[in-house]
This record gives sequence, structure tokens and C-alpha cells, in this order.
Amino acid sequence: MNATAGRLLILASLLVSTAGALVAFAAGRSRSAYGLKWAQRFAYLFAALMVGATAVMEYALVTHDFSVSYVAQVGSRSTPLWVTMASLWSSLEGSLLFWGCVLGLYVAVATWLTRNAYEEYMPDAIGVWLACAAFFSFLLAGPANPFVLVPAQLDGPGPNPLLQNHLLMVVHPPFLYLGYVGMTIPFGLACAALIKGKLGPSILKPLRESLMLPWVFLTFAIMLGGWWAYEVLGWGGYWAWDPVENASLLPWLTATAALHSIIVVERRRVLKGWTVTLILATFLLVILGTFMTRSGVFNSVHSFTQSPIGPTILAFLAALLVFSIGLLAMRIDRLEVEGNFESAVSREGMMLFNNLLLVVLTFTVLVGTVFPLVVEAIRGRQMSVGRPYFDTMVVPAAALLVFLIGVGPALPWGKTSWKQIRRAVLPPLIGAMVFLMAGFLFGARNPWTLLTIAFGGYAAQVTLWQMRSPFAQVQRSPRRIAAYLVHAGVVIVMIAIAISSTMRYTQEVHVVKGGTATVGAWTITLAGIEQRDEPNRSATVARFVVAKNGVTKTILEPRMNQYERMREPIGTPDVYSTIGGDFYLSVMNIDPAEQSAAVNVIITPLVGWIWGAVILMGLGGLMALVPAFRFAFAGAPRAAALTLARSDGV
Amino acid sequence: MILSALLFVLATTTAAPDASIFVGPPQARPVAGAALDAQTQEVASLLRCPVCQGLSIADSPSEMAVNMKHQVRELIARGYSRQQILDYFERSYGQFVLLKPKFQGVNALVWLLPIFVVALGAALVVGKVKKLERLPEKQESASAAADPYLERVRNLVGEKP
Amino acid sequence: MNRKVLLAGLVLAGALVFILFAGLGRDPQAIDSPLVGRTAPPFTLREVGTGRAVSLDQLRGRPVVLNFWATWCGPCFEEHPTLVAAARATPNAQFIGVVFQDSEAKIQQFLDERGRAYPTVIDDAGKTAIAYGVGGVPETFFLDATGTIVAKHNGPLTSEVLEAYLSKAAQ
Repeated sequence: MNATAGRLLILASLLVSTAGALVAFAAGRSRSAYGLKWAQRFAYLFAALMVGATAVMEYALVTHDFSVSYVAQVGSRSTPLWVTMASLWSSLEGSLLFWGCVLGLYVAVATWLTRNAYEEYMPDAIGVWLACAAFFSFLLAGPANPFVLVPAQLDGPGPNPLLQNHLLMVVHPPFLYLGYVGMTIPFGLACAALIKGKLGPSILKPLRESLMLPWVFLTFAIMLGGWWAYEVLGWGGYWAWDPVENASLLPWLTATAALHSIIVVERRRVLKGWTVTLILATFLLVILGTFMTRSGVFNSVHSFTQSPIGPTILAFLAALLVFSIGLLAMRIDRLEVEGNFESAVSREGMMLFNNLLLVVLTFTVLVGTVFPLVVEAIRGRQMSVGRPYFDTMVVPAAALLVFLIGVGPALPWGKTSWKQIRRAVLPPLIGAMVFLMAGFLFGARNPWTLLTIAFGGYAAQVTLWQMRSPFAQVQRSPRRIAAYLVHAGVVIVMIAIAISSTMRYTQEVHVVKGGTATVGAWTITLAGIEQRDEPNRSATVARFVVAKNGVTKTILEPRMNQYERMREPIGTPDVYSTIGGDFYLSVMNIDPAEQSAAVNVIITPLVGWIWGAVILMGLGGLMALVPAFRFAFAGAPRAAALTLARSDGV
Repeated sequence: MILSALLFVLATTTAAPDASIFVGPPQARPVAGAALDAQTQEVASLLRCPVCQGLSIADSPSEMAVNMKHQVRELIARGYSRQQILDYFERSYGQFVLLKPKFQGVNALVWLLPIFVVALGAALVVGKVKKLERLPEKQESASAAADPYLERVRNLVGEKP
Repeated sequence: MNRKVLLAGLVLAGALVFILFAGLGRDPQAIDSPLVGRTAPPFTLREVGTGRAVSLDQLRGRPVVLNFWATWCGPCFEEHPTLVAAARATPNAQFIGVVFQDSEAKIQQFLDERGRAYPTVIDDAGKTAIAYGVGGVPETFFLDATGTIVAKHNGPLTSEVLEAYLSKAAQ
């Protein structure tokens, strides 16, 4: 019943999205308003069908309908309800269904917000969206069908234990999909601009905003992924340059570059072709990331195991690449340069420099990630490209980016006299000196850490100075404050990363019941070892009393969780977080017979600041969208003009 | 059966294969104390844990990694140099175990390509900026200029900061 | 038509797609051993149960099958009967089980329940496993009569595969 309903909805969505894409492209060619109306209807219908199919799946999961193949694969009567509901995205087929659902919602909302505007671009944009929708419907209808009817069993194995092991694993994937899938919208708009051979001022607003929203989600997703790794994997770090982590970072880097180059397009009416290229690249990297996660080619904690849909996604990626490159080659010269550069030593010049760094970073991370495949293909032997490589290559570029967050906004737009430049660029050196001294007193000695701190101080002074003025003058745009909030977040994140990764202290200790171990100023006492039975797992918990300088601070319970489906227990660390840093206990071994435990003690300064500052970045990004919400309902050209004029204040 | 009997030698000590069969005698000085901890951490962060996903043996909490880290520590204590230890692990696990690719053969590309792209990108950016600087500013074309609202609002807000 | 964009784009995209295509079907866990074709690293390890020392040096002159395994490894359960049967059927070759990251009591229990046909030695601190480049268990090395490693197999063995390797080691 559920399987049939779901399957029908998927087939209908495949039909609707294919037909809708054809209608939309036809309407784009014939400039038919009637055709556009129909394309919009198809877009809404696709969304409704996808949401419907997802609802059917959720219903099947919650009611334990084991005749649906996906439920039989991930469902279990013993898992708590929230785990059951979240198991929609715990495995390959369900996660693609969720992708389709999110895509439907994005397409519907984007279609609705643009229903009375940008008539020139919308048919082709909707066409591209629905063409992508058709591909994902095709995946769900064939190679990754979650609604196969299977002989019903009484119970299922339950989702991957890692999903059940921590709440963050439930939250992280939806944010990632909201980020990844959302990039379809700016991709469609950019393709439409290329098809029309024109990137006029009116389309910049929807382009920027449709890029900003998924950027915010992707920012959160990357942070949540790192936080999850930190809280769960037990090695006390948050980023391992794992292929799938890299896959989420790549589109983020190009999207960040595009968000900056759009501003240059707005202000100076140059870099149009470049901006469009960045937006196209962002979506292509999203599909590349999807391939990396789902093909089984890359070894990763986050990847789904060997799956047969790899070749299908690769074919889609290849088709998108050919389409994008062909479109760019045909139309890039038509995107007219209307403006010019007055001076390279200007805000726009620094944005160009920022774009260069971000693209080089993207390229480096991409090369490092796929290089083992290159060597295996041509030399037939395995090799690794790991953290030491990425640290060596990425850290200098990242430090320079922090510097640009300072220098860029300090410089005015356009041509300025050297005297003015000196006046803008020299005072923040005070901030750099103050931060440098503070960092040195804090104990930082690594030269790259100190450099990042100094650049951070420079950028912090500029950012605070720039944020101060908008509050004084009511007329300034919220977008401007928003941008500086994001910059402030980035500065804090970078300093926190620099310090937490170079000033970490780890020590292995072995403690028997009642015994203590001392690590620096901290003392841990093993209070006892307990066995706990929970519905979906059993746990061996080591209870530690944690004291600093003799004062008891907290009780930490690192544990070994044993899931029925897994032979080996999963160690789960426990963390005591303070503003200055984290005290982290990760069990290596618990011996209930001997009443002893071997734990890894990891003391990491400032790590909590990363999560906080990323939230600041995300909120800044959302704030940049506030005028968008305010004017979304007006839809008239007047509103667009107003917003554009306001945004010129940035 | 005779052969089987031969199998058991009257040895009282057990011995795992020694590093010297792969990389010869130690070439550095024996290390102890805090320096040993620091060097162990440094070398271990360059070696990949074979049972993990891209983690170094310095980071991984897995038993395999812990064993390997102890091995690294022992070798450093006995006076093996960093390069000898990396070579030792490479001899048994292959280049897979080295997290930092060697600068040799095809591997050199992974180091050189980004540097090449930096140079190429910088050249393109400089060229582009030079070209754009020479361009005169065209007057507002088409849609932007055609919108009187936009002009008015721009004047109201005060275009230049 | 901007030929520069077209050419650069297609070259980059073509390279990327080609590399990814070549990688399809690859098992990221399977690692080739650089030890194949070299003399097996010598070891002397203690036999589980008897405590006697077993030395690889004593086994020159006939093929040796070195099987690295552990009781906590699922595929090792599957392959155990295959190994036991093959060891009984091939008296000419010497089988040795090397267990690491495990306790002696568990190994004893495992062997009592599932049968033993050849000595099992215990590799304290996994040093022998490291010297052989062992990652995930089970992994099996095939040595010829001169003590040279002729093949390495990752993952559980089936009897056909085992047979093929044995004939290779016997040559």
C-alpha cells in the first residue's frame, strides 16, 4: 500500500518535472507568458508530489511498514521515535528522497517569490530547476528506489548506529541538504542569465539572495559536521580533511567567492562572466560532492557504503559539466562589461584578490582529495594525501584571507589617494599588535598561529570600526552590518582554529577504581564503572570526577556503546566545555572486571568558540536576507530598485 | 609430523620482526623524556592509521593506531631517525601510510599543481585588472539607466559612501 | 563562442570525469602490499595454549600460509572453517594463525568451539602485524619454500581462492 503509493508519486514527479522542464524551455524560447504560467504550475506540482512521497515514507517509517524496502532496511521497533523519523536520511535511498523533497520546496518557494518578476529569465531558470528535479526523480524511480515492495518482516535492523549515537548526527544531514540542494536555485538563475546572454541589474538580487540562503545552511552544516566528529569520534578533533568533509567545503568556498564577486558586479558592473562561472562551479561541486559521498570510491566516515548509483551520478555530473562549459563558452562574451576598475588598491581590488585565494583554495582541496585516484589510475598503487599536506597548503592562504577581511573593508571603493589609503590601512595595525601580544601571553608560539592572530586583530579592528558607523547613521543598509557580522564570525573562527589545532594537549592515562590521574592542572578520579541497558543499545560507562587545581568541576561519563547490529562497541567521549577551552575524555578501553579504564585526556583551548562564531556567521548571513523578506511580497520593479539602491550602500 | 615437530623451537623469548631488517641500524641518537613524547607525536601525525578514515595514528583512538604509535615511540627511543621510521612503515604498508605525499615522481604534482594555479591565477587577475583599469566607464546602459526610480532612490540614499 | 573557455573547461572537466570514472568500483579499503616478492619478515611468537615458541625461520623449505586474524572480527568467523579444511587437506604447506589485539582466553575459546588444525600464535602489541603491513583483519600472506612472500589476500578467503594461492606458493 505505502510502497505503491510512494512509487506512483515518484513516477508522477518524474513525469511532471520532465514535462515542466520542456514546457519551461519552450516558453523561454518563445517568450510566452502563458508557457511561463504552465511552467510555474509544473514546479508547484513537482513540489507537492515530492513532499507527498516523503510524507508517505515518513508514515511508513513511523508505522513500521516493513513491506517498504527502505523501512525494512533501516527501520526497527526498538529505536526511539525521533531516530525512526530521522532515519529518512540515514541511508542512501531515503536521503535521496529527502533531497527530492527539499528540492521541491526550494523550487516551489523560488518560483513563487519570482512569479511576477524577472519574466525574461524565469522560464529558463525554472527549466533548469525542473531538469535537475527530473534527474533526482529518475534516481528515485529507478537506481535508488526506496519504495520497492518486499515481503514484510516483523522487525528490521534499525538505522546505522552512528545516527543513533548522537543528536548532532540527526541535525547535520538536513542542514547539509538544505545547503547542497539550495545551490540548484542560483545555478538555474545563472544558467538563465547565460542563455539570455545578459546579467542585468535586476537579476542580481535574486541571484545573491538565492545563493546566500544555501550558503548559510552549508556554513551551519559544515560546522555541525565538525562538531559531531568532535563529540562522537573520540579523537578530539573536528576536521580531518576527510574526502567527504572536503566535498562539503568545496562548494562553500566557491559560493563565498561568488557572494563577494556579485557585490563587485553590483557596484562596478564588471566580473559578470566570472561571477556566473563561480555560481555554476558551486553547483557542479555540489554534484561532485554527492558523487564522492555516494559512489563508494572514497573512503570516509560519512559516506554511504558501496552503492550502485555512482555511475548514474557521474553521468549526470558529466552532462552538467558539458552543458555548463558549452553555455559559458557560447555566452560569456555576451555578458557585457559596462563598468571599469579605477584602481586595483581598492575594495573591489581586494575582493578580486579574495576570489583568487578562494579559488586557489578550492583547487588545492580538490586536487588533494582526488589525487590518490589519479595516482591509482596511472600508477596502479595507493597513496594518501592527508592532513599534513592540507595544513601546509591551506594555512597560508587562510591566513591571507583573514588579512583581506581587514584590508578589503578598510579601503574605499574606486580610486583613492595614497594618503587616504595610508590613513585607512595603518591604524588597524594597533589591533594587530594588541592581538599578537594577547596571543603571545596566551601561550601561542607557532608562527602561523601568531600570524593568524595578528591578521585577526587587524581585521577585528576594521570590522568593529565599520560596524560602529551604521548604528550611528540610520540610513545604512542592514546588509552592511550583516556582512561585518559574518566577517567578525570568520575572524573568531580562524583564530580559534589556529589556537585549538596548535595548542592541543593530549595524554593517555590508565586509572583503576578510586584511583586518580593528573594531567596538568586537572585531576580525574575514576568513581566507578557501570553497565547501563537502554532500549536500542547497552553501554559501559566510566564515571570520572574531574577537578581543576583541586576544585571539583564536573562529572564526565565517557562510554562504550554496544549496538546489537555492531560487533564492536562505539566509544563515545564526554566533554567539559568552558569559555577558555575543553576538557575531553575519550575511552580507549574499559575493563569492568578489573574496574579500570584507559582514557585519552585531551585539553583543547578555545574550541567552543568555533561553534559559537559559526552561528554568528550564519546569523549574519540570514540578516543579509532580511530586506529580501521585506520586499519579497511587493514583487514590483520599484521594490527591486529600492533594494538595489540600498544594497549599493554596502 | 617430523616437520611439525621442527616448528617448535626451544626458544624462551619471542621476537617480532625488527625494524633493522628493513632500515638498518639506528642513525640518530636515542631519545627519552619529554623530547620522546614530542617526537613521537610529530612522527605519528605523519602516519596514516590503516583501519581509520584518513586519521593519523597520532589522532586515532583505535587499537591499531595505538599499537603503531607505541612502535613509533619505541623506535625513536632506540635512536631511529624520523626518515628511517617513515621508511620502515612505508616498507610494510606502502605509500598509503604516508599522510604527507613524498615530493617524487607523479606525487610531486600534488604539490606543484596548486603553486602553478596560484601563479596562473595571479597573472590572470593582474591582466584583468590592467585591462579593466584602461576601460572608460560606459554610461549606465539599458535597464539600469532606464529606471528613473532607481536613479532617484540612489540620489536619495547618497550613492558614494 | 569563446574557444579558450571551451578548451580549458573541457580539458579540466574531461580529466576530472576520467579520474572519477577510473575510480568507480575501486575498493578504498584494499591496499596492495609492497612486501610481495620480498623475504617475509622473520618472527618468533608464542603459541596460544602451549606457550611454545614458533619461529618462521624454522619453516624454510615448504610453503607457509600466514593468516592474521582476531576473535572480534566477523569475516574471520566465516573463513576459519575454510582454513582448517585446507590445512588438513594440504599437509605439505604449513599454516600459522597470527592473532593480534586480542586476549588469549578468547582465542582459546574460539579454537575450542571451531576446531584447530594448525598452530595459532599471539602477536603482543601487534608488532608483527605492523611489520607485515596488516590493516584490517583478516589478511593472509602466502610464502614459498624460500620464505619469499608470493601473494597477499585482504578479507576472508574462499576455498577456491585459497587453492589458487597455495599452488602459486608451491611453485
